[in-house]
Amino acid sequence: MASDDIRTMSEALAADPSSLIVLPLGEALRRRGELDVALRVAMRGAERHPLVPDAHDLLARISADRGDLDHAIAGWEQVLRLEPLHGGARKGLGFVCFQLGRLEEAAAHLGAALAADPGDPTLAVALETVRDALRQRTDASERATMPVKRSAVSAGLESATTTSPEPSPLSPAPDARGTGSPPAGAAVGAVVGAVVGAVAGIGRPTTGLPYELRSPEADSGAVFDDLLEGQRSAALLLDGDGLVLAGRYVAADGRDVAADIGAQLSGISDEAGRAMRHLGLGQWRQIVFETEAASVAMAPSQDGVLLVAAARPIPLGFVRRVLERALERALDWVERS
Amino acid sequence: MASPFAQVTESLIRHRGVLGAMIVGVDDGMIVESTLQIGVNGNAFAALSASLYRKARRSAAAAGFGATGFLELTAEQGRVCAAGAEELVIIVVCEPRVNVGMVRVELLRAVEQLP
Repeated sequence: MASDDIRTMSEALAADPSSLIVLPLGEALRRRGELDVALRVAMRGAERHPLVPDAHDLLARISADRGDLDHAIAGWEQVLRLEPLHGGARKGLGFVCFQLGRLEEAAAHLGAALAADPGDPTLAVALETVRDALRQRTDASERATMPVKRSAVSAGLESATTTSPEPSPLSPAPDARGTGSPPAGAAVGAVVGAVVGAVAGIGRPTTGLPYELRSPEADSGAVFDDLLEGQRSAALLLDGDGLVLAGRYVAADGRDVAADIGAQLSGISDEAGRAMRHLGLGQWRQIVFETEAASVAMAPSQDGVLLVAAARPIPLGFVRRVLERALERALDWVERS
Repeated sequence: MASPFAQVTESLIRHRGVLGAMIVGVDDGMIVESTLQIGVNGNAFAALSASLYRKARRSAAAAGFGATGFLELTAEQGRVCAAGAEELVIIVVCEPRVNVGMVRVELLRAVEQLP
């Protein structure tokens, strides 16, 4: 972006302070590395346009560039409140969560970003990188999504930025939103050292679950096992962010892919809620659909969603019955947890 | 002049509890053909239901479940059923008391007639 362009945009903004040109201006300044000026411009944009998701997205990306991850996360969370399917915010949160060792949340956010934009190959690579990091976890406390040790963060960063033969969205790379601008990933990548040093003491916004519900003692993965038809079906209880509260989904290779499946499918419930608000049919109670590989049933459960998937040809009616029983189980489990 | 799809929607709306049947573009949510009872906001149902179907299809594919066929959304005051082909989706708006099994069979049969 040439200086002339920035000057032109600045003049346009001065002439019309309510103009949305504040956003490309802030982005241009961010790309030039003038982060302090960019931050002031972005804050002004967010104040002027509090209901515009991209205004908060810009603020979050600049905050990430500055190493202010608390504000970056808060900014992207605000974006998601305004636009739950905002792919850029999901990706940004996915990256920051990865940096902080919150791998399940990172997988959920990246999975949601991939669902919003399945054609973005960098997201698939990022998700696989997070999965690799998840597989490396063996300690029970790490499985409970506590922040990983600094060495683990470093290992994850190394695999994301050094050893991966393909450009990874977890490393500095073109913007995953397809705008051609430097991504949140690049912004965060620039502050990796600061993150690793600060990870132990950082304040964590509450995007995830209450810690008590994640404790290994609760055996959350097995909550629905006795309701299911062996290995050919699965049930997951997801919170409002698409993160797994209980249940598991074991793939053919033995991996628990619950976080991925939950992240991908939870977006459907968001879409259903939006449709119901406009159509005046009241609250949605159930969604069922059939695919080539599975029959899937979903229902709202407290603030989240319960999902049951069964391999074909298990009939749809059976899946619905399991869903109803699993709903009762989920309520009971949450009360006891 | 009746479109080639009129017979499909007219057949579906004959079922008890069906309030409207539409053939809609999956990508744009625009109605290609519709048979609606009075009072049903076809454009809104078409756009939002197609969006939901599109979302389900993309999400299911991303989750590794393959192509999506029949979808049913149950709400407090009604149901929406859908089944799609490559570019078109048939959407049926129903009362809560509708026989969903019958609608499903008819929808899947009707989808075979779509290009």
